[in-house]
Amino acid sequence: MKSIGVVRFPGTNCDRDVLEMAEAKGFRAQYLWHLDQFDTGAFEALILPGGFSYGDYLRAGALSAKSPVMKSVREFAEKGGPVLGICNGFQVLVESGLLPGALVQNTSRRFIDDWAELELVNSHPYFGKSGVSKKIRLPIAHGEGRFYASERDLDAIESNGQVWLRYQSTPNGSMRGIAGVMNQKKNVAGLMPHPERALYSWMGGTDGWGFL
Amino acid sequence: MSQDADLKAKFKTYRINESEYKHITSLLGRPPQGVEWALFSALWSEHCSYKSSRVHLKKFGKTITDKVVTAQGENAGVLDLGFDEKVVFKMESHNHPSFIEPYQGAATGVGGILRDIFTMGARPVVLADYLCFGEPTAKRMPTLIDGVVRGISGYGNCVGVPTLTGQTNFDAAYNNNILVNAMAVGLLLPGEELALSKAKGAGNLVVYVGAKTGRDGVHGAAMASESFDENSDAKKPNVQIGDPYFEKLLIESCLSVIQKKLVVAIQDMGAAGLTSSSFEMASKGQVGMKLDLSKVPLRDAQMGPEEILLSESQERMLLVCEPGKLADIQKEFDIWGLDASVVGEITSGRKVSLWWRGECLTEIDPDLLVENAPMYERPYSAWAPKHQKASLPAMSTDAKTWDLKGQLGTSEHCDRTWIYRQYDQRVQARTVRGADHDVAFHRLPSGRGLAVTVGCRPAWMKRDARIGAFDAVLYPSLQMAIKGAEVQGLTDCLNFGNPERPEIMSEFVASVEAIADVSIALGAPVISGNVSFYNETLGQNIISTPAVGAVGLRGDVEDIPHDRFQEQGSTALLVSLAQVRTRAGLTDFTGELDGVGVAAKIKGLSELVQSFKASEILSTQMSGRGGLLLSVAKMSMDGVGLAIEAGFTLEDLSDEVLYQMVFEVSPAAEAKVQAGLKKLGFDVQKLGVTQGQRISWKNHGWSIDEMKTSAREGFGGLLDGIS
Repeated sequence: MKSIGVVRFPGTNCDRDVLEMAEAKGFRAQYLWHLDQFDTGAFEALILPGGFSYGDYLRAGALSAKSPVMKSVREFAEKGGPVLGICNGFQVLVESGLLPGALVQNTSRRFIDDWAELELVNSHPYFGKSGVSKKIRLPIAHGEGRFYASERDLDAIESNGQVWLRYQSTPNGSMRGIAGVMNQKKNVAGLMPHPERALYSWMGGTDGWGFL
Repeated sequence: MSQDADLKAKFKTYRINESEYKHITSLLGRPPQGVEWALFSALWSEHCSYKSSRVHLKKFGKTITDKVVTAQGENAGVLDLGFDEKVVFKMESHNHPSFIEPYQGAATGVGGILRDIFTMGARPVVLADYLCFGEPTAKRMPTLIDGVVRGISGYGNCVGVPTLTGQTNFDAAYNNNILVNAMAVGLLLPGEELALSKAKGAGNLVVYVGAKTGRDGVHGAAMASESFDENSDAKKPNVQIGDPYFEKLLIESCLSVIQKKLVVAIQDMGAAGLTSSSFEMASKGQVGMKLDLSKVPLRDAQMGPEEILLSESQERMLLVCEPGKLADIQKEFDIWGLDASVVGEITSGRKVSLWWRGECLTEIDPDLLVENAPMYERPYSAWAPKHQKASLPAMSTDAKTWDLKGQLGTSEHCDRTWIYRQYDQRVQARTVRGADHDVAFHRLPSGRGLAVTVGCRPAWMKRDARIGAFDAVLYPSLQMAIKGAEVQGLTDCLNFGNPERPEIMSEFVASVEAIADVSIALGAPVISGNVSFYNETLGQNIISTPAVGAVGLRGDVEDIPHDRFQEQGSTALLVSLAQVRTRAGLTDFTGELDGVGVAAKIKGLSELVQSFKASEILSTQMSGRGGLLLSVAKMSMDGVGLAIEAGFTLEDLSDEVLYQMVFEVSPAAEAKVQAGLKKLGFDVQKLGVTQGQRISWKNHGWSIDEMKTSAREGFGGLLDGIS
C-alpha cells in the first residue's frame, strides 16, 4: 500500500493533525522533511499542512517554496500525483507556482479565526472522493488568506473550472470569494479552510471528513 | 566620587537597599564585588525571590493532595488525571512590559509561560489570557488593547497552541497599569517523561540552547519589581523581543531530547535569564556549577559578563546532560537548525563559579542567592469588611428605562469576539469548545474533556478582597460544574500594588487565605503561580487582582450543556445559594459569603449535571455581573428568549447575587433536575419558559435582534482610531 506523505517544514504546526486525519481515514501516512527529497513512487498523495513555515519570514510560504523537498513535490505533481495544500500549505503551493494566484493579507489586516460557510464549486477528483457536500462549513484561521489574481487570470480560473471552494460570505476579502483552487490539470489543490479540524461532531462539525 | 556616594549609586543601579546590603555582606563575610552586585540584584528582586509574599504563599502548601505530582518550586505544577494522563499548568503576569510595549510585552508573556510548560516535558495544548485594561477612553488605551491582542495572537498562533479562553475587564484603576496574565496548559501522555530542573551529577555538562544572548531585557526582573513613574517610557530597552518561530523550534527539539531521555535537568531562561536558571538549577540539586560566560553565544560580541548574566533575551534554555549524550543532543537540535553549546559543567563542590576569558569572576554558594534571599513580613491587618451593609438602597429606576440594548454595548458587557477572532482556537485539532464559550474544553486522548477557565472579577475585589478572592476560585469552579466538569487544580497570578503599603498587604493576605481555604474545600490544589507586586503608577495602585486559572475534568465531551437557550418551550430554572447581594454600580453589599460552604457543594453539582444528557439540561449559565436580567439577555443571543414569571421583582432581576445560575431544562427532565438540585442544598425556582426572539417580563419586552447587534458592535466602538 502506498502512503500519504505529510510535508513538514520548520514552523509547520498542523502536521500532526493532518497525519492523524490520514490515519483515521485508514491510510498509512508519513512525514517528509523539508531538507530531504524523496522517492515519488512511494506515495499515493501528498499534503502540505498549515502553520507558519519558516516563521512566515519574507512572505507566507515564500521560503518554503524554495526548500529541497519542494523539488520532489513538484516532480510528483508533474507526474499527475494528487497534492493538497491546506492554509500555509496552500500559500506554499501558490508561492511555488504549482497553483495560480497569490494569497495576501486579509482586508481587515487581522488574523481571523472562525467557521466559514463554503460552496463546493468544482469537485476535486482525489480530495473529496469520499464525498464533500455542495454546502459545507469548515474552520478558518489565517492572517494572509485573501486570494488575489488579475481579473484576466480570475476569468481563466473560473472558466477552466479551477475554482474548488467559494466562501458564501467572504471573511478575508478574497477576490470572487475564492477559498480554494486547483491547477489546470486538477491534480494539485489548495484551500485556506482546515478540513482536518472538522472530522467529528465534538469538533463542532464533520464536513472535513470527506476530503480524504 | 566618595566611597559613600559610590555605594549609594550602586544601591540605585542594582535596586538593593541598605539593610539588604548589610545582609549580603554578612552572608559573604565581605562586601559584594563586581558581578555579585548584579547577581544579588536579580535573584533578590521581588520578581525572582518573592520576598514580600513567600511567608504567605506557604499557605498554598496545605492545598496539596496526593493527585499532585510536583507543585510550587518547579517551573509549573503537575497533576495526575488518572488514565496515565498528567496535566501541567501555570499562569504568569507580564504587566509592566506590556504597558511599555504592548505587542512585545504580551507576546513574550505567552512565550515565557509556554517555556515553563515544555521545559517539564509536556506539550502545551491550551493557552488562556486574563486581561485588565483601563477605560477605553484613557490615554493610549486603544493602542494598548490592540497591541496586547495582536501580541497574543502573533505569538500563540505561530507556535501552534490554541488560545481557548480568557477574560477581559475594564476599569479606570488600570488606566496607568494594565494587567496581562497568560496561562498555559500542557499534557504528559502515557509513557511520556516528566523533566525537572534539579541539576545533578558532577562532571555532567551544562548546555545552552536556543536564541543567542542579546542586550534586551537586561535588568528586566528588577524593573518588574518597581512602581512606574512618569518616565516609564525610558524603560523600553528593558523590554524583551520575542520570536515565536524560534519558540516553535525549541518546543519540538526540547520535547524530543526530553522524551529520548537525553537530559538530566532542564530549565528555561526566564526572568533574570542565565543568572536565575543556573543558580536555581544548582541550588535545587545541591551541586556546584562552573559556568564560562565567554562561551555563551552572543548577538553582540561587545557584551560583558554582567549583561550576559542579566539579559532576558527570549527563547533560550539551559540543560544538563551526561557527557556521553552531548553528541545525540546536538544532533537533535541540529535537525531543527538550533545550536547547543557547552557553557559549563556540574562540579562536586557546593559553589557556582563564573568565568570570563580565563578569569574567575566569583565563586559563590547558590543557596546564598536562592535560599537565603530576604523574606519580609510586611505589615498588614486582619481582614475586616469595609462595605458590608444591612440592606441595599431602594431602586431608583423602573423597568421602562431599562436599556438592555445599551448595556450590552458597553465595555463591561459587550461581546469579546473582536478579541477571540484573532486567536487560532482549533490548531492541534482537539478543541471541543473555544473562547466563544463560558468554559473551554480540550479533548484528551482518553476521550475525557479537559476544562479550562479563568477567574477573578475586579468589581468584587473592589467591594471586598476576601469575597473577591473566594469568588476568583468559586466562580470558575461553578462555571465548570454547571457544564458537568469538576475542577481539579488551580494556578494563580496575584496582581497587587505596592506591598510596602499595609492596606495593600492586608488585601494580599486576605486573598491568599481565601484562595487556599476554598482550594482545600474543593480538593483542587494550587499547584503553581506567580506574584506581581508594584502595580502602582505615580502612587495610584490597581485594584488588587488575584487572577485564577482553573483546570477541570469531565468524563466525556458529548453531552456538555450549551451556554445559550436552545429550544422554545423549555423551562428555565433559577438555581441559587444566595448569600451575598449587590447591584451594578454599588460598592456596598449585604450578607456574608461562606466560601468553604459553597465549595463543598460544587463536586455534587458537577456530578449531577454530568448525569444528564444535553437534551435534558440544554443550557446553563452563571448569573453574573449586571444581574439576572442581563444574564438572561446574554443567554438569549442565539435567538431563543425567555418569558420571565411575573412573580420576580425589579430587585430580583437587577441584583447581582452570589450565587445564582440559570438552567434550561426539558419539560420531561424538569422534576428530576429540580429534585437533584434541591437534594444538594440549592434553592430552585421556576424563572420562566423559553420563547422565540423576545425576552418579556410583566408588560415589558426586549427584542433579541437589537440586543445582539449592540453586543456585537460594542467592542469595535471602543477602539476609536484603530482599524
